[in-house]
Amino acid sequence: MNQDERLSILKDILLTDEREYAKKVEEKLKIVEDIVNKQNELSERVNPIIDEKLNDFVVEIPKTLGPTITETLKSEIRNSQDAVVEALFPIIGKMIKKYIQQEMQILSEQINSKVNSTFSFESLKRKFKSKRSGVSEADLILQELAQPILEQIMVIEKGSGIIISEYSKTQSIDQDMVSGMLTAIKSFAEDAFEKENQELSYIEYDNFHIHLQNFSSYYIAVIISGPYNVMYKSKLEDKLLDFAKNYINEYDIKDTKSFTKKLEQYFKNNVL
Amino acid sequence: MKISKKIVLLGHFGVGKSSLIRRFVENTFSEDYKVTIGVHIFKKNVSIPEKGTDVSLVLWDLEGNDDISNTRLSYLIGTHAFIYVYDVSRPATYKNLESELEFLKEKQKNTPITVVGNKEDLVTKTYLKQNVDDFGSLTDLYVSAKTGHKVDFLFSKLAEALI
Ligand SMILES: Nc1nc2c(ncn2[C@@H]2O[C@H](COP(=O)(O)OP(=O)(O)OP(=O)(O)O)[C@@H](O)[C@H]2O)c(=O)[nH]1
Ligand SMILES: [Mg+2]
Repeated sequence: MNQDERLSILKDILLTDEREYAKKVEEKLKIVEDIVNKQNELSERVNPIIDEKLNDFVVEIPKTLGPTITETLKSEIRNSQDAVVEALFPIIGKMIKKYIQQEMQILSEQINSKVNSTFSFESLKRKFKSKRSGVSEADLILQELAQPILEQIMVIEKGSGIIISEYSKTQSIDQDMVSGMLTAIKSFAEDAFEKENQELSYIEYDNFHIHLQNFSSYYIAVIISGPYNVMYKSKLEDKLLDFAKNYINEYDIKDTKSFTKKLEQYFKNNVL
Repeated sequence: MKISKKIVLLGHFGVGKSSLIRRFVENTFSEDYKVTIGVHIFKKNVSIPEKGTDVSLVLWDLEGNDDISNTRLSYLIGTHAFIYVYDVSRPATYKNLESELEFLKEKQKNTPITVVGNKEDLVTKTYLKQNVDDFGSLTDLYVSAKTGHKVDFLFSKLAEALI
């Protein structure tokens, strides 16, 4: 190999590399340029998609992952029951104790105030009753306190959830919203379980029991506080059915005034 | 005795259904997005001086759905008026407008539908004019929950029409 040849090979190597290198750099530059140019455009196009996907994601997560998480938790708890009981026992114990203490206190306060109001008509009645029946006065009071209390009756149009009529001793809640929500819950539950002709008939909310009596175009929601039991439920059902069957006609459903009047008359002296 | 009417708001995710209700009921607006799950119920009294009466609007704020046929049909029963909301700045929310409205009309035959394009503040008047073919002919009102543009107008006109 002579000098020239060597030089030419060297040149070749150097130049090719240089060219390729230059080409690569150029390509890279172009890509960068493209990215810079397109980024605005790109983000404009991609952002809504990402937003929408994110929305989907947020909505889907409870549906898809929710059950898995619940299941995992459940089986975890099942598998280590002893440990869970061990950990929770003192806390639950304390909670129950505290709750009972508080309830007992409230109860004794109520009893005291009842006994103290010796001159009230109620207590006079109770004294007579106690003498007559031989049941102690305190027991009679306890019985009175443990009665379910009918807080409110709402007659609600099915579907729309609009109130047809309403009766309550104390007005505190926004009926339109409550009746709307009850109807939405009812629709949801009935849809979700897809059993035909199966209608939601009971909801428990906080310290309230909500009894739902279904009729064809409307339903009656009765809100009860205190101990709600099967006996009370069946008495309530009887009353509602009797009321709907014997007092209410198709015109009342469209005439709020007349419906309300009948409702008041029927339930004013409710002895359930 | 007061009159109550059930109004149901429908449309895709994030078009501003809850925001419109919040603007109308509380006169507030928030930029952050809290997805509605299930349905929320709101209420507002509207007085209609011309008729010397009050109407109680019970507003059902449904969760968004990209396909109206996934809506829980029992929520639609007994509705006195629908408000169908789309987002003028997001074509995906109005590209099936016509068929979505058809679906609604078929499910609830005699219930009036008001179609509103929300987030009017995000686009120009020219843009709205240019897109007449897409949604213009079907739209009753352009509104903005953010600025409050035409929001009261929307609900009070609706209340009036229902009396
Ligand atoms: N610029 C602007 N943004 C709005 C307007 N209305 C709503 N937004 C925003 O859009 C997002 C979604 O609003 P929402 O009211 O939650 O939408 P939605 O239709 O209730 O959504 P879903 O409950 O998921 O169906 C929020 O971040 C709002 O701040 C508007 O008029 N203008
Ligand atoms: Mg919402």
